Order: sequence, then C-alpha cells, then structure tokens
Amino acid sequence: MSTTWLPCSVYHQNYAQDHAWWQTNFIKGKMLVLFLVLFVGIPLYADSYWLSVCNSVGYTVLGALGVQLLIGFCGQVTLGHAAFLAVGAYTSTLMILEFPWPQFLLDWGLAYPISILVAALVSGVWCVIFGLPSAKVKGFYLILTTMAAQFITVDFLITQYISQIGGRGQAFSLPPGTIKFGPWVIDNDLKVYYLMIVLVTLSCVVMINLLRSRVGRAWVAIRDNDISAEVMGINVVKYKLLAFFVAGFIGGVAGAFWISNLAAISPEHFPWFWSLWLVGVILIGGVGSIHGTVFGSIFMVVVMEVLQLLIMYLMDMGFAWAEPLFMDFLFVKEAAFGLAICAFMIFEPNGLAYRWWQIKNYFNLWPFSY
Amino acid sequence: MVAADEIKEGDVLLELEDVHMTFGKVQALIGVNLKIRKGEIHSVIGPNGAGKTVMMNCINGLYQPQQGNIHFKNQRINHLKPYERADLGMARTFQKVEVFGGLTVLDNIRLGRHVHFRSGILSGAAYLGKTKREEIEHRTFIEEQIIDLLEIQHIRSKPVGMLPYGLQKRVELGRALALEPELLILDEPLAGLNLEEVEDMARFILDVNQEMHWRVTCLLVEHDMGVVMDLSDRVFVLNFGYMIMDGKPEDVQNNPEVIKAYLGEEDLYATRA
Repeated sequence: MSTTWLPCSVYHQNYAQDHAWWQTNFIKGKMLVLFLVLFVGIPLYADSYWLSVCNSVGYTVLGALGVQLLIGFCGQVTLGHAAFLAVGAYTSTLMILEFPWPQFLLDWGLAYPISILVAALVSGVWCVIFGLPSAKVKGFYLILTTMAAQFITVDFLITQYISQIGGRGQAFSLPPGTIKFGPWVIDNDLKVYYLMIVLVTLSCVVMINLLRSRVGRAWVAIRDNDISAEVMGINVVKYKLLAFFVAGFIGGVAGAFWISNLAAISPEHFPWFWSLWLVGVILIGGVGSIHGTVFGSIFMVVVMEVLQLLIMYLMDMGFAWAEPLFMDFLFVKEAAFGLAICAFMIFEPNGLAYRWWQIKNYFNLWPFSY
Repeated sequence: MVAADEIKEGDVLLELEDVHMTFGKVQALIGVNLKIRKGEIHSVIGPNGAGKTVMMNCINGLYQPQQGNIHFKNQRINHLKPYERADLGMARTFQKVEVFGGLTVLDNIRLGRHVHFRSGILSGAAYLGKTKREEIEHRTFIEEQIIDLLEIQHIRSKPVGMLPYGLQKRVELGRALALEPELLILDEPLAGLNLEEVEDMARFILDVNQEMHWRVTCLLVEHDMGVVMDLSDRVFVLNFGYMIMDGKPEDVQNNPEVIKAYLGEEDLYATRA
C-alpha cells in the first residue's frame, strides 16, 4: 500500500522500501535517464543559447521553490519573494567585492561558495523578519505584509542605500574571474549550467526530504488546518517562521547563483513583477508539488522564449507589425503571462503537475483504464 | 448539586477549579468544577449551547479562562499553549472533523506523533540514519497499534479529504491516539455517524480505555444518551455555564434537574434502538 503505483508482482516487504524515493526498477531507470540527460546530454548537445535558457529555468526553479514552500506547503501567501532573491544577490556580490578575503581563500576559489552560504543565511533571516506578521495575520492580509518586504527591501534599502556602497553608481559589476567556484572560474554558460543544475538538484533533494519528515509534515498540517495542527502539538508560529527561513534560504541561494550569470546586478533585476511571476510559476506548475515547480518554470521560460522566436520569425517573414512587438517584448511577455495564468486557472487549476499525474496514471493502467 | 465523591487526590488527572469563561456579556462557563480520575471515561452532557465545547477548548488551551485554575497531572496549566499541553499528553478530536484533508491517512496519523519525533530541520533535510530510523520506528507503531486497532488498513494511502465522514472521524481518532495521550478529549465523536459506525466508534473508545497498554482516560462530550450512559464511569451535566451535577450515570438519569434541563423525560431517553 504505497502511494507510488506498483506494477503487478511488485510488493514491499518492509517499511524502508515503502519510505523510499524510487520504489520500482522502472522509476529508478527513469530517474537515471533523467540525470544522464541533465548532467551529460544537455551540456553535450545544447548550444550556448539553449544553455542560457536552461539557466533561466534553473534560476526560476530556485526562486519558485521558496514560493512553493510558503504558498504550496505552508499556506502562507507571499508576494514579495524577489526581495529575498535580491538580498541573496546583493549579499553575495558585496561579500565578493568588499570583504577582505584572505589570499588563500581566493586562491582556493572558496570566496564565492562561502558568499553563497552567507547570502542564503542572511536572506533566510531577512525572510523570517517579514514572516513575523504571519504569527497574527492570515491569508489575504499576509499578501500585503509580504509585499511590504519587496518595497522596503528593494525599492528603499537596496536602491537608496546599498547600491551607494563603494560609490559605483546604480549597478554593481563583478570583474571577470571573481566568480570562482573551487578551481573553476564561472565564465561561460556551460559552467553556469553545471553550477545551476547542482544547486537545483540539491535544493529539490532538501525540499523533498523535509517534506517527508517531521518538519515538512508540520508545514502541510499548518496549511490544511492550523488549529488542529496546534492541538496536535505543533508550535505553529515556530514552524511558520521556519518555513519563511527555509524559503528565504533557498531564495538567497537563487540570488547568489544568479550573479554568476549576470556579471552586473542592479535593483532592476528584482522588480515586484518578478515576485508575481514566481507565484504564477507555481500556479501554472501546480500548487503543492515540487515537480510542479520545475514544470512551471520550464513552461514559463520556454513559452516566453518560443514567443520571442516566433515574433523574430514573423519579422523575418516581412510582417511590419511584428517589429514593434519585438521592440516592446517586455510588454508582450507580461500580457502572455496574464493570459497563461487565466487559461490555467480556468482549464487546469491544479496545474501541470496534475496533468502529469493523469498521464502517468493513464500509462500505468494502459491499455485498460480500470 | 452532587459533589464528586470518593476521589483520592493522587488519582486525579485533570482538575478544573472554579473556571469562569465569558465572551463579552455572554457567560459561557460559570464556576465549573470538575475532577477526572485516571482511567475513567468521564462524559459531559448538556443541551446545545450549554458550554460543553467552550469547556473543552479551555481544557485544551484554545481558550484562556478569565478565572479559575486548570490542573493537569498535578501541574497548573492555565498559561500553557495548546501545543505545550499536547506535549504533556493531552489529545483531542473535534466536533466538526478537523483533519488535514490534503494529507494521506498515514501522514495524518504520523502527524499525531509529532511530539514523539525528534528530527529537526537539518537531519530532516538529509534524511539519513537517524531520521530514517525514526520514521520506520514510528511507522511500525502506527501500523501495529493504530491502523490495526481502528481497522483502516485499506485506506492508509488515501487523502483524508476524499474519505466519507465516518472514516474521517475514525482517522481523527487515530491521529489523536498517535500522540499516546493520557487524556483524550472526544468532542462529539458520534455526531453524524450511522448506527454501525456508532457501534464501531463506541467499541474503539472502550478499547483504548480498557486495553492494558493504552489505558487512556477519556473525556467524552456526546448527545447520544444511550452511548453516554453505557460507556461512562461518571457523567457531568452542564446547563448554560452552570454545573448541574457530576455523578454516576444512573444518578444522573434520575436527577429531576437534569431531566428538566433536557426538556422532559422523552428527550433524555430518546436513544437509538
């Protein structure tokens, strides 16, 4: 009686098998293929353009995981998550630029990895501060308090004060060679890709493990019914804040990762729209599922890229009306985002993860649907 | 008013001492005294709006009474939060089922064992050695003690939100039992169940009360007089905040004040056949 669908003649004989991630040989094979594609296939065959698309997907996954945790698993609606990405990115950048690193750490290429960790911690703590209102307010009202995080952090603190540190003007640029991870200088899309895929895999592993142990169950309990969660012995406020911390932590990792791809960061990289975008990602992917976060990120990034390619193609075909669309692609993107959300809310409110589940179910029982 | 008789002090598990609870001008509890001894099934009855659920919420910590003391295991617990009281060994079920609809039956019951799990965020994230062992240990307990007792093997991996009401009530009982409580508060466990489910539920309550390794003290709020009179060791009658009496079921049945509170004899004895 496992939650995983088991084919005929496959039975679990102990609880460890039933608690395992990959419970059948078929699933193990499937996951092996997936990892081969991710770690070998894509780096071998994708060109620089598609690698950069993959990197965007990975960044979106890292950002959206925190939102998924807060909204999908803990029921705390958040609409300011870009702030924590910004905190991560700025902490990491400032540490690389301003911190008096001992020479041996620079030589060993540990400055950037350490800055990622510190950025994640700082971002986690920052997220907890803005999670504090969740002890008193719920649902709709929490949206406004988390939006405050965006405006206070990005629009006020970072734009007005943090950006002025060092007198560099608005944007912080990272000199080539400063983003060094161990022996590797992260200077092309392939290396960014590898950094991304490792971070995404680690974050997903952590999230999935948390969700099948004590802490994750407490989060889901708070989402489903906070009063009975408290009666069952869960310190609701503590676990809510823990959820905010982990969400901020992963957000900080996302932000600190993204500077390896940007080479220069400014507050415009973390607009409020990006917070909204991340919520859209989990709505489309499926609220309350980790693979839904990944599906949603792939969908959102790839659809936008395809849309852009389509407009460029139309321009090449000689349609004059396509040109302004290309010039103002940002607005086209926003409109497409809005349309996609509407379409999903109406036709597939459970998101892509549910569709994926349906497809799997269909093939599990194929050719007879009973 | 009949006082609780022949109680030895050491046996008292839960004690309410002159508890007052008011909401604005509504007085929900007025000077309630109650002693629950270890190992008994103590029922609370009263007409709708008598304050039974308020009383449960006070015991449980969801409400803080304005006046009076609540002692649990010889410890004053007025200031403790519900989750701290759960830690002391107090579990409850709700009148309207309050299960975690999105979780499976198994996860709901696992969640009931929250206070017995030890793994924190780091060991949970790694899910190695300690956490893994702990999960299997508790799974064994749940399977052998709770799922087996409540006969819910067939629905273990179903999301609770999709189950019929009777089974949800049973899962809720399972979740409360998973805490291995010393005091189990059952707020109308039989409401909305059909006859067969009522019989099952009554059997489960008796089982956990009487089996040697459970020996759970139950505080039962119920309207089904037949079940209350059959199961209870003592019955406490509440009428709009006032305690009418606290005594043996047969005394309660014959008390004229109780009969009046329930609007006539017919109502009191209107039980299921």
